[in-house]
Amino acid sequence: MKRRISVALCLAAVGAAAIAAGTMGATKKATASSITVWLQVDAQSAWPQSVALANDAFAKQHPDVTVNVQYQTWDTHLQKFDATLAGGNTPDVIEMGNTEMTKYMAAGAFADVTADKGKFPNSSSWLPGLVAFGTYNGQLQGVPYYAGSRVVIYRTDYFKQAGITKTPRSLAELTADGKKLMATFAKDKTFSAFYVAGPDWYSAISFVYDFGGQIAKLNGGQWTGTLDQPAAIKGLTAYKNTFLALSRASKTQDEAHPFPTTPFAQGHAASFLGPGWQYGYALDPKAGNPKLKSVISAFPMPSHVAGKTMPAFAGGSDLAIPATSSNKSLAEDWIADFTSNDSEAGIVKSGNLPNSTSLLHLVVGTPGKQLAQASTSGWFVPTAKNWTNVENANVLRNMLTQILAGKKSVQAAAASASKQITSMLNAST
Amino acid sequence: MSTNLDAAGAALALRRRRLTRRTVVRFAAPYTLIAPALVVIGAILAYPLYYLVRLSFQRYGLFQLIAHKGSWVGLHNYGVLLHDPVFWHTLVRTIVFTFVNVALTLVLGTLVALLLVQVATAIRLMITSALVLAWAMPVVVAVQLWYWMTNFENGVVNYVLTELRLGDFIGHDWYISPTSALGVTTTLIVWGAVPFVAISVYAALSQVPRDLVEAASVDGAGPLRVFRDVTFPVLKPILLVLTSLSIIWDFGVFTQPFLLLQSRPNTDYYLMSIYLFEKSIGIHEYGLGSAIAVVMVLIMLLLSFFYVRQMVRLGDVK
Repeated sequence: MKRRISVALCLAAVGAAAIAAGTMGATKKATASSITVWLQVDAQSAWPQSVALANDAFAKQHPDVTVNVQYQTWDTHLQKFDATLAGGNTPDVIEMGNTEMTKYMAAGAFADVTADKGKFPNSSSWLPGLVAFGTYNGQLQGVPYYAGSRVVIYRTDYFKQAGITKTPRSLAELTADGKKLMATFAKDKTFSAFYVAGPDWYSAISFVYDFGGQIAKLNGGQWTGTLDQPAAIKGLTAYKNTFLALSRASKTQDEAHPFPTTPFAQGHAASFLGPGWQYGYALDPKAGNPKLKSVISAFPMPSHVAGKTMPAFAGGSDLAIPATSSNKSLAEDWIADFTSNDSEAGIVKSGNLPNSTSLLHLVVGTPGKQLAQASTSGWFVPTAKNWTNVENANVLRNMLTQILAGKKSVQAAAASASKQITSMLNAST
Repeated sequence: MSTNLDAAGAALALRRRRLTRRTVVRFAAPYTLIAPALVVIGAILAYPLYYLVRLSFQRYGLFQLIAHKGSWVGLHNYGVLLHDPVFWHTLVRTIVFTFVNVALTLVLGTLVALLLVQVATAIRLMITSALVLAWAMPVVVAVQLWYWMTNFENGVVNYVLTELRLGDFIGHDWYISPTSALGVTTTLIVWGAVPFVAISVYAALSQVPRDLVEAASVDGAGPLRVFRDVTFPVLKPILLVLTSLSIIWDFGVFTQPFLLLQSRPNTDYYLMSIYLFEKSIGIHEYGLGSAIAVVMVLIMLLLSFFYVRQMVRLGDVK
């Protein structure tokens, strides 16, 4: 009798626990009174005041809707986005890099906002380059957010110490100046006259385009990798020589580990090639050295042809609305607030280029002037659907590591990278 | 021994009795009690495994992900996998890597356990505390620390080695070659795995009969002989368990190599887990990734088969 009662009690307890576990699993669906926005950490560290401005403006328009801004890193945000696409709880606004847009647009990830183009400020004068990468099959799916360019950021005091009186106007002059700097600071074993991370393909491919080469060519619907062509080889060789002579950076770690601003702020680098926002970041109280404010300046990266600038990577970001979002109209309003003139002014001040020609007058001072100059000649990645696969497989980074570590000759490494690029870009969906 | 007989007798008695309601409740009660746990385990393990196998026969890229529907391609994914030279190189590299890691972990763990038996209690407590601290450290935190220590620009390892006059290590890049990079990874993994082995073997060493050891050394056997003939047979069961577990863990290890190599290593540095990650999440091809996962599971099953068979054999022979 006792055993029967105890068994029955156990069964009842287990049954109750099972039911409780079942009901606990039910979650409430997100109500329409909040929207989720995914921005990159660049926005969090470099222009948080623009985000705050946008949120305030949005709150005035829609007082009962809360904005939930989440910051992602470039490495992982696509994986997270994929997970939300599979799960169904995508954000309402997502920041995508230019190079990432094509593949997702082709897969139908984003909503078509062509009809509401007029909502967005300055939409009639958007930079054509930025619009191109947010458009697919004639549909506008990405709203241009900002454009970037790259300049050489340097220390005037180090240059003066090495006896350099004016900034170099050609690649040969840069190399000569760099060698002077290396000799002046020979005591510091980790010193770099021109700090560039070995696998930094944004810098290395700039050399390729400077000599007239390119990453890949489209011929009759088929892509062909062209890094093994003579012009590209000349560029890669010039990059290799510059790196080996002037940079003591790692041959395996990329340009984000660490950011060039770190050795620069520590005094182990006289100059580095970086995007505009790294100018302010080098003076950041936590990540940089604010004492450098009086000795920091910038000049556009010189081409191998005297007097011209080397083409700079025309990066940038777009803001897109995932197709599965149920708050498209609210999302568009937020994007309009975030790309308003005031917000763009804050983004430009942090060292970027605005999304429209009518705002170019905001680009003043250093490094703005140099950025604007550098952006007049730019290059971009092949506009292929599968380009993100090439980036994710680190084809270019690995090629550069092989060249710089001496594991393969420039020709061999470029040939193997070209073959990989050809097969990856032409792979069918 | 007596409880076995009792249970056998009770079972026999149960079978002879007629099927009363009381009998049914008694029989059903254990199964009903474990039913919720079984359902949960089934949901968490069985369903994803089934779905994984199903996914490996489908084409599931970004387009299919957004449409929530894969397209059936049969054995195409497996074909792509088996024809990929990177897969075979990676498999060989992973097998060698696993072998080195498991060997080092077990040898060092056993040596530490043998040491723990010999030293005074205070020292033993200190060593055990150090082992537990190393074991308890979250993996991602440990990797971050090792990454900083071996950093080529500011790493303390380079500094210390140079100060010890072992050569000029300033600016030495530990990740410049796959062997060096995987060597650092091995050190990190072995560092994290030795505590578990050491403490388990130390517990097992308490089963070694002291009088046998004394008798052997009185008969003139050296320490190595004593270990081989007296200690090792007693340790065999636990060492077998630890070896099998280590093989399974080290074959599929992901966090340490992936994070140490800054998340996007060259194909020369690939281990199976990184290859799986890059071929699925890296290029948004989840069908192919599932095929790789299934192949890895089959290899693990093969290893577990031998482990389970040995365990069953050990159970028979007492």
